[in-house]
Amino acid sequence: MNSPTPQFVPSRLSIYEPIHQIGVWGENFKRNGNPNTSTSLIVEVDNKLENESETTSHEMLAPTNNYEQEASKPIDKIQRRLAQNREAARKSRLRKKAYVQQLENSRLKLIQLEQELQRATQQGLYMGGVLEGSHIGFSGTVNSGIAAFEMEYGRWVDVQHRQICELRTALNAHISDIELRILVKSGMGHYFELFRMKSTVAKADVFYVISGVWKTSAERFFSWIGGFRPSELLKVLVPQLDPLTEQQILEVCNLKQSCQQAEDALSQGMEKLQETVSSTVAGGPVDEVSYIPQVATAMEKLEALVSFVNQADHLRQETLQQMSRILTTRQAARGLLALGEYFHRLRALSTLWATRPPEPSLP
Amino acid sequence: MQQAIPYKSWPLPCIDATSHRARSTTTLGHNGRGKDVLNIVSENAVIVLARKGCCMSHVMRRLLLTLGVNPAVHEIDEEDEAGVLNELGTICKGTENNKMVQLPAVFIGGRLFGGLDKVMATHISGDLIPVLKGAGALWL
Repeated sequence: MNSPTPQFVPSRLSIYEPIHQIGVWGENFKRNGNPNTSTSLIVEVDNKLENESETTSHEMLAPTNNYEQEASKPIDKIQRRLAQNREAARKSRLRKKAYVQQLENSRLKLIQLEQELQRATQQGLYMGGVLEGSHIGFSGTVNSGIAAFEMEYGRWVDVQHRQICELRTALNAHISDIELRILVKSGMGHYFELFRMKSTVAKADVFYVISGVWKTSAERFFSWIGGFRPSELLKVLVPQLDPLTEQQILEVCNLKQSCQQAEDALSQGMEKLQETVSSTVAGGPVDEVSYIPQVATAMEKLEALVSFVNQADHLRQETLQQMSRILTTRQAARGLLALGEYFHRLRALSTLWATRPPEPSLP
Repeated sequence: MQQAIPYKSWPLPCIDATSHRARSTTTLGHNGRGKDVLNIVSENAVIVLARKGCCMSHVMRRLLLTLGVNPAVHEIDEEDEAGVLNELGTICKGTENNKMVQLPAVFIGGRLFGGLDKVMATHISGDLIPVLKGAGALWL
């Protein structure tokens, strides 16, 4: 950076601006102490300021003109180099994103393992000597159930992504309705597959499903009983489906209302369950050391949570089914594309969030 | 506000329609004996049978309330459960599910309608309100 030839510097340094600003610019340099800029330029300007008065701008015009003339030739080279830098930086950022996403996944797995361990320890305390052998087996089963789900879910997301791309291509290519029908069916079936997977892992550990640790952070933000709200789903879908017939608008409206009613009923049931578990755990005298009866009873009540997850998924499934009955094949395809793209963007948001730069410190 | 729904005719329940005017009672108490249950089921247009403290029956009840139905709720004690389910099994012969009744269960028009699954699915497809109207549980 100490070469004698004039160098292109970022426009904020304004070397092409009128003379009277050069003095200010030089001072800005000194104040910020920016190490990235050319020190030789500073020295040059400073020298000129010292040797001549500020009002003799005439002499200073010459170096400015020199900058302008000579800078026009190396501009292309410089701009090309900058473009290459940008490209390299972009690629580097993408690589970093992928790496951090991997780290994020590993971190989540670590959290799960720690929770497993904690739970196994607590169960060890609770079940005492009689079941000592089996409690290890239980948490082992839980572990493998969760591990199996994680693997399957990873594959599920990949297949989902592929299906979305296929749908997009198919819709743009205007393929026949018959072929589109096949894509719609497999798209719907894919969601139903997820509900089956969730049902299985819910039996192993319902808290795992409800916590949503298996999803990305932005998806988790919208989580309702271990998944998306069916009414939210409709809000995402419907704007993408224009134009709808009068009849369809009416049916969608009815569906929205039924969906909301069913959701509310389930939410209220969940609240009741929370109250029940809370009062069970809190019950009994606190000055006694033994809390086993309360905790044991609460465990039984928590079994209902599995039903809630199943009912919530069932509601999601029925909502999707009803939508597919209301819509034409083409509309259903657009709907599936919109839905898949929405979740894809939420996942991208999560990754972006995870890789957001730290608070910038002043130079 | 009820939405406009295409008219569907539903088969009227075999039991005399006049016995179907829904009672305004809610919880009918914990008397779980089999024969009493059969009477209660036939006397109410809509009734939810559930175990004590079941949260799913709460969900069922809240959903029906939202639709404008005030369902009777009958809670079954654990010890009476087997007997009650047996009795219910007798009136469920001839319907699609010959298996044992699963709790919580809703009976509409004196007949077993199903569990929460069935209620949700039927509501989403828009068919629940016509069924309720047909059983005299809903007017308007």
